[in-house]
Amino acid sequence: MEKPRSELSLILRGVARDPLGLMGLIIVGTIIFCALFAVWLVPYDPIAMNIKDRLQGPSLNHLLGTDQLGRDTFSRVIMGGQVALKVALPAVFGAMAIGLTLGMIAGYGPKWLDNLLMLFFDTIRSFPTVMFALAVVALVGPSLETVVLVVMATSIPTYGRVARTQTLTLRNSEFILAERAMGASMTRILGVHMLPNIIGVLAVLAAMDIPTVIALEAGLSFLGLGVKPPTPSWGALLKDGYSLIRQTPWLVVGGGLPIILATLGFTFLGESLRDVVDPKLRKNR
Amino acid sequence: MKIEWQKAAVGRRKFLKGATALGAVSALPIGLGNRAMADDSSTLRVRSYGDMQSIDPAFSKGVIDEEIHASIYNKLIQYKPGREWDWQMDAASMIEQVDPTHIKFALRDDIGFTNGYGSMTAEDVKYSFERIISDETESPNKPDMGPLSHVEVTGEREGTIVLNEPFAPLWSIALPYITGSILSKKAWEAAGGKATADPLAESGPYLRDSWSPKERTVLKRNPDWKGDAPAWDTVEILPIDDENTAEIAFEAGELDFTRVSLGSVERFRVGVPNGGTLLEYPSLYYAWLGMNLDHPKLQNQKLRQAIQHAIDVPMIMEAAYFGAAEPSTGIIAPGLIGNRAQSLVPPAADFEKAAALLAESGETNVTLKLDTLNKTTFTTAAQVIQATLSQIGITVEVNVLESGAFWGSADNEDLQLVLNRYSMTPDPYYATSWFTSEQVGHWNWEQFSNEEFDQIHNSAYQESDPAKRAEMYQRAQDLMEETGAYRFLTHEATPVVHSAGVTPALRPDGQVLLRYFGKA
Repeated sequence: MEKPRSELSLILRGVARDPLGLMGLIIVGTIIFCALFAVWLVPYDPIAMNIKDRLQGPSLNHLLGTDQLGRDTFSRVIMGGQVALKVALPAVFGAMAIGLTLGMIAGYGPKWLDNLLMLFFDTIRSFPTVMFALAVVALVGPSLETVVLVVMATSIPTYGRVARTQTLTLRNSEFILAERAMGASMTRILGVHMLPNIIGVLAVLAAMDIPTVIALEAGLSFLGLGVKPPTPSWGALLKDGYSLIRQTPWLVVGGGLPIILATLGFTFLGESLRDVVDPKLRKNR
Repeated sequence: MKIEWQKAAVGRRKFLKGATALGAVSALPIGLGNRAMADDSSTLRVRSYGDMQSIDPAFSKGVIDEEIHASIYNKLIQYKPGREWDWQMDAASMIEQVDPTHIKFALRDDIGFTNGYGSMTAEDVKYSFERIISDETESPNKPDMGPLSHVEVTGEREGTIVLNEPFAPLWSIALPYITGSILSKKAWEAAGGKATADPLAESGPYLRDSWSPKERTVLKRNPDWKGDAPAWDTVEILPIDDENTAEIAFEAGELDFTRVSLGSVERFRVGVPNGGTLLEYPSLYYAWLGMNLDHPKLQNQKLRQAIQHAIDVPMIMEAAYFGAAEPSTGIIAPGLIGNRAQSLVPPAADFEKAAALLAESGETNVTLKLDTLNKTTFTTAAQVIQATLSQIGITVEVNVLESGAFWGSADNEDLQLVLNRYSMTPDPYYATSWFTSEQVGHWNWEQFSNEEFDQIHNSAYQESDPAKRAEMYQRAQDLMEETGAYRFLTHEATPVVHSAGVTPALRPDGQVLLRYFGKA
């Protein structure tokens, strides 16, 4: 007798059957693998300076050359991936958790609470993310934590609004009405019955959001306002590379390529996940 | 012919595939070749790092405006192109310091203003100089005129500049630079003393023909100019902020002259494209690491001295300035009165001495914050400092700031270490003026306050003997360094390239004197 497959296994199979989804899965998997095992993968200490070897081109010793301080660019790219995910994952999943909770409360709770939360979401959304991030960084100084908090704060309304809409759609469904008739608490209804129906959509949204956050962190680092030196970051690599592009183009390649790949990978994966999770799209394919 | 528009069958997924392929193709190294060099021999095209801010010398923002002002206005004296600081006659046919506070001058009789405002007279000189110091004008450039009292008009073209007290920088800053431009009294009074973006009346060898904001300023030869004719009929000044972009424009033949980045010096030393030439000039800017004397963490002089000795300036020159700049000995650049032959703390790090000083200080587990601008040069230098200080056990956290936040650091009580850089004019008076007790809380970020230093600053500009004056400024820099609050880094450098057909005319710090540019 065949063992029944889990939901996750079915989703993964669905993604893997789609060529773009498979490509996304491979790229994202590689980035996560490199980030997790960066310490063992880097051939050199990414912050160790060797000024006499500065601005070297690619070679067997230094696959992507060296920067202006003689640091191995390949090692900095690998460690930069760790920084990118350290920002993106907590920021996106933190925003998703908070947005989901607030969105479900807004959708299921009383009207006044809904209005209050919507006002809160709209207020946050009225700040342009980059300008808000620049203002906060200028105020409290650049750090990994600041970037995470800024991104998280500005992303909450996106998840909150989607969660609210889904909750509003589900709250009058027969199975929810039945639960309520049987006296189930609000916590049980939201946590046990609504959450599984909403989380899929939000997970897709999160996957598509990760490259945006990576790009934002890179953008702040490009402006010199992201993580503090000497911590490696793709944006900082791009910034130095741009300044030194006439001396060596490899810093721009080292900083730009992973951002492009991460953006493509997470977008492909998100697109494919959405197709797999959404039954309407699944039928049309 | 009827064109029928049809909806393209490109879905989101196809677009993503296509865009990915296009991105991959665009990443391939496809040589496009150099554009043919422009060959318009009567037009000189030079790059400026910014656009004109004001046509009024009273509100000039500095070098960028001065490039234009020095071409369309005259001064009594102008800087002489060359490697040594010197001046030459311009509108003056005679100028003489008759005593420490009186300078007599006579104007040439062949200089006239455009737009029918007649010949240049001593009244124009009086109006121009007194306008700068007038409280009504509120000119930010007023300090450049120092203790100017007034100008006495003694004839149609003769007069005397009267000072309240001796002022040596008059010859190096006030007269040949921003505030020395002579305006037409009639024209400016007719306009109520204010100009818009257009010059009211010009008198120089060039006239401003047009100004397209953020695009170009065009100067044309003044047909009524009676002095030595400028070599170029037209000068186009192109504001290009980014040095990489300017270098590409130069290599494409779109520019005849530009400053280049220090990182490109090594490449241009090997050869300049299109038969051009690289010229390396020193700069007057000064960069240093400052320590806030008021901060509780930096009260210990031995600790500050340990930091001084642990910073390896030659390494910073190599990493951040690509070996194209020299270590400095203070805030006054070589070639200026008061430059020190050597600093008290040698440029190279002495880790043994630094460690000994740190041990003497009794400080342990020292962690300091180093503020710096978000420019690659400074963040690179900051990282070198971070690495070298770690060798004696001092932990440095680099705090990168955007320019608004950085330049607002004067009242930042938490400022600890700061990597700083100030601009400079060719007189030591300008350098020491930012480090007096009066400047604490303004530009004196180290909170350095020393009575002897203040006294030197207030008396050295009155000293007419260059040797004595030099000694005074050297002593002033010794005082700064002895506190341990300063680690002088560099005066940077001004590398420039010019095309084969151009003979540049530059100040000793590499700044352009457009009216003297020649043809090769």
